[in-house]
Amino acid sequence: MTRNFSIWPVVLILLLISAPIVIMYSYLALGTVTTTEPGDLLPSKLALDNWRFLFDTSTAAGNIWIATLNTFVFAASIMVIVLTVSATGGYAMSRLNLPFRRFVLSGIMVMHAFPSVTLIIGVFLVLQFTGLYDTMIGVILVKASLMLPFGIWIMKGFYDAVPWEIEMAGVQDGASRFTVWRRLILPQVRAGLVALGLFAFLDGWGEYVLPRILAPTNDFRVLSIVLELVGNPDRTNYDFDLFKTVGVFYTLPVLVIFVFFQHRLMDIFGGGTKG
Amino acid sequence: MTIMKKTTTLAIASALLSATVFGAMAEDYTISVWAGGSGEESDYRVKAIEIAADLYEQEAAIRGEEVNITVDTQLFSGWDDFKQAVTLAAESGTAPNIIVSGHEDIGPWAQAGILRPMEDYVDFDAWPLNQVYDNLIQVSSFDGKIWGIPQDAESRPFFFWRKNLEGIGYSAEEIDALPQKILDGEYTLYDMLGDAKKMQEAGLVDDMKGFMPRPSNGPDYWQFYQSFGGEMVDAETGKLVFDKRALTDMYQFFVDAVEMGVVPATYLGGDWDTWHGSVSAGKAGAWHGGTWHYAQWTKKNGLDDFFGNIVYTLIPAGNENGRANSITHPLVYLLSTTGSDDDAALSADLVSIASEPRINALHAMKSSHLAIGKEELNVPLYAESRWATEATKNLLPHANALPNSADFGVVWTAMFKGLEASWTGVSSVEDAVNAAEQTVGNALGDKVVYRNHGM
Amino acid sequence: MRSRTSGLGLLLISPAMLLLAIFFFTPALLTGVFSFTNMSSSTGISGGAYVVTPNLLKALSARGMQPATIEALEEASYSVDADGLAAARAADVDPAFLDEIEARYAGRAYATDSDFLAALKDLPSRPRRIRDLKLAMEPFTKSVLNVRFATEELARTAIAERVAGISDDEMATLLSESYTGWVWTTENFGKLFAGHETWRIIANTIFYVATTLTLFNVTLGLFLAVTTFYLPKKLGAIFTVIWLLPRITPVVLYAIMWKWFTWDDGFVAVLAGELGLPSFNYMKGSVTSAWTIVIMVNGFIGASFGMILFSGALRSIPIQQLWASEVDGATRWQQVRYIILPQLRWPILFVTSYQTLSLLTSYQEIWLTTNGGPGSTTTVWALESFRTALFNYSGSLQYGLGAAMALLLVAVGLMLSIIYLRLFRFGELVTQPKIEF
Repeated sequence: MTRNFSIWPVVLILLLISAPIVIMYSYLALGTVTTTEPGDLLPSKLALDNWRFLFDTSTAAGNIWIATLNTFVFAASIMVIVLTVSATGGYAMSRLNLPFRRFVLSGIMVMHAFPSVTLIIGVFLVLQFTGLYDTMIGVILVKASLMLPFGIWIMKGFYDAVPWEIEMAGVQDGASRFTVWRRLILPQVRAGLVALGLFAFLDGWGEYVLPRILAPTNDFRVLSIVLELVGNPDRTNYDFDLFKTVGVFYTLPVLVIFVFFQHRLMDIFGGGTKG
Repeated sequence: MTIMKKTTTLAIASALLSATVFGAMAEDYTISVWAGGSGEESDYRVKAIEIAADLYEQEAAIRGEEVNITVDTQLFSGWDDFKQAVTLAAESGTAPNIIVSGHEDIGPWAQAGILRPMEDYVDFDAWPLNQVYDNLIQVSSFDGKIWGIPQDAESRPFFFWRKNLEGIGYSAEEIDALPQKILDGEYTLYDMLGDAKKMQEAGLVDDMKGFMPRPSNGPDYWQFYQSFGGEMVDAETGKLVFDKRALTDMYQFFVDAVEMGVVPATYLGGDWDTWHGSVSAGKAGAWHGGTWHYAQWTKKNGLDDFFGNIVYTLIPAGNENGRANSITHPLVYLLSTTGSDDDAALSADLVSIASEPRINALHAMKSSHLAIGKEELNVPLYAESRWATEATKNLLPHANALPNSADFGVVWTAMFKGLEASWTGVSSVEDAVNAAEQTVGNALGDKVVYRNHGM
Repeated sequence: MRSRTSGLGLLLISPAMLLLAIFFFTPALLTGVFSFTNMSSSTGISGGAYVVTPNLLKALSARGMQPATIEALEEASYSVDADGLAAARAADVDPAFLDEIEARYAGRAYATDSDFLAALKDLPSRPRRIRDLKLAMEPFTKSVLNVRFATEELARTAIAERVAGISDDEMATLLSESYTGWVWTTENFGKLFAGHETWRIIANTIFYVATTLTLFNVTLGLFLAVTTFYLPKKLGAIFTVIWLLPRITPVVLYAIMWKWFTWDDGFVAVLAGELGLPSFNYMKGSVTSAWTIVIMVNGFIGASFGMILFSGALRSIPIQQLWASEVDGATRWQQVRYIILPQLRWPILFVTSYQTLSLLTSYQEIWLTTNGGPGSTTTVWALESFRTALFNYSGSLQYGLGAAMALLLVAVGLMLSIIYLRLFRFGELVTQPKIEF
């Protein structure tokens, strides 16, 4: 393409509107290794000891590695449930004859944007009834279920894009419909599975409200809860720099995943239930 | 948020020894305790139960019984999520045996059937409960039953920075006489605003920092309602009271304070850290806080000479309708319906032991709270603290508590919403009061007495 | 054309349906049910009991209940009689202790708890544990005051025994008033619309959704997509990453970063101070600044949604069209206006509709930043519903009212969804499968 416009004004405008993000994140990163006096703009001294929580369990953050492992297990379980259930459900919705298919599909579309806050009391009762209240399994199931409409919807979109010819060919060769799905179709939607899996993992990693409300006293403590607790200014040993550092530690895996799989994530075409 | 959780096994008696010597069956108990609004400085709310369990085991061993008690403790730093966790956990049958919460929760929780009445499990006429202050026992009662044992007491006084008062012409004697003047109603909230304004004009404190109230919702704001003659409970019928005139005057007071420029319109919701920093360094003219803030200011904010720098008083009266006052907001030990009757009986015994003056004084001193009973004043640790003894003597006798009622939360929420709305200037005082009245009326109807004073 | 149901389809869809039924439909249904109750933290969720309390009697007396009835119910007495002794024996009270009670106190009555307790404490073989003493007292009580009756029948029997000849009317009043659990009501919706507070929150919500949506989710998203499209690839990618950061940052951290950025001693306040501008808590310091920040906090997350979606759509525009236009001498602006925008019509419509719903139901970011303040100026419907039902300082959780608020939100969401489904020609999405078996 020809350059019939000057690039700098555009970059300048972009920089200007991106300034809050750039400033916030640079200060976040800076705050983990320096100390800034209140009321100053620039940090005054280097302070690496903000990171001591990594091996010192006596800080407000407690044992960070257990929390990290917990968060990983939490996010990975959600990812596995969302992936398997969406992969099968999405295929059924896309390619197979089901009663009330139209109705179910529009229902899923509606649920896609359903206010989950409105469900929490009901969810609580269901968990209590099934004995899953205050357990992490309960929270995982709830979180995964709340993501399902989105997952099924996305997977259906990917299946829709697979040419029918592949299936026709498989069926004509005498394979069962299930084998066709497993052997021929699933590889075709790999991009979708990767994107959805990443997305589910990231969403699980960042989840905060559900563990807090549905498993308030559980030993299985995830990083979002640890972060909230470190960030509570009512504590006598409240330390904002420690909070920032734990925050960066919490976000690092997300950033790494993001940098490496950025294009994969883009595949999900919008990805997200956040406002 | 949950901040600390641990399990302490306090099994000391040797199973072998007692089983062979006394032939007694070992009894194993697990007692869980949750405390709300507690950080490390107030961890004796649950630690006291551990100490009590230890004592109980030793006493049992002497009697020839072997009892192993495991105490499961949990501290929640906030109130919102603590109360929600307790309510939902109780609903699912997993509430802790012992709950440490604000006394105002007794009403709703007793009605919901979450609590066992404490009086069915302990003897209030025996040591150590017979020396607990009667008014605190009253605070732990609701609808004819005693539901809890007071865990601590405090008071929410007003503070002035001496130098700033001197800077606007007060003599040292006048400053020392201020608490009495306030008690007698000769120095009102409006006098305070005037002085705050003078301090700002004299450049002693920054603009908008003349008066620094509590930055967030709390029982404290009911003190101002009382300063303008409001009552929370109708003495005769025991119903809650919505006093329109007092509420109007109270909202108007904060609006006036904003108009005088001594407090910002958008003050509420500010940061506690900033607040502690300002008030403990004399950057504020007048403020109100809690007796327990003493610990924060002297230990963390580096305020070395508290008594040399600060004068504390009751909350001044607002006008001729009201009086100088202070609210005490004791936390109470409560027994949940979770678990067996035996668990509850043991829990009650533990709470009772934890209320021994010496054990309770540990909490009182570590967290700068006040004594729950007469004998605690004689515990050396407590007696040697000037702040504790003075506050107990000067403030506590004039303090009253929030009502225990299942419906008070609704009135409280409405009161604070109206205060926020008028303070920020979003609604006029009149609209805010009417909106609050409407909310309360809709929700509670004739369960509340509405006093208009011909307004 | 009607076709055979696929067994495999049912099998494949069943895990999804099961999970959705348990964790989506059931809770949604329950929410609908709750919204017609007065359920709260004082009524409990799972049911109530019947308790006659002193306060209740006071209230009933004020409402004109017979003084005789009130008096009979108020009396908290114990009497040591044959019935009581039998009941105590049945309740496994220590027989030796009971014998002493019978010997010393048979035929006596006590007006208060403490009188009876004091009397019992005099006996030599009294149990050591206070609890056991209290349990021994219980069978002798004749009072119904503050006793929790699990069922209506138990309460009715006890009251009838206590107040001989109580009228049916009074019994009915007593039973219904002494019930502590929740009851059905349709008042929640009336309550909601009785106060003008509700209308303010509705206005807030509309303002919040409309402003965030137009300024950030659509306009800024579009701007970012188009500019990064035209920038050199590497440079464009940097901005894409920057704008995706808010979306992938955990919300707790993201919220606190904004707090730090805008609070009293935060970056903005300090910078403003040095530039000679008013320096205050921008997040809560004024209504305008609070709204600006609330919208930015959500908008910075929302913009990336549009950005990604529009970028995808832009890449699918045949590049030849753009070249051709340049040969014809079109400026960049003309290119955007006449070629790009028309092609983005559907994505824009999709972002608008989808994000309207997300914004309507979002509350976490506001909750963790301004918490709806100052006052309730930035309180939106979803946040208010969350706080009413689940999270407030005084701990009075009003599940019923909160559920009613949620139900209204669901109704609005459903209506909007149906409109959108029509807009997007839903039929095209559900074409019939091409292989039948």
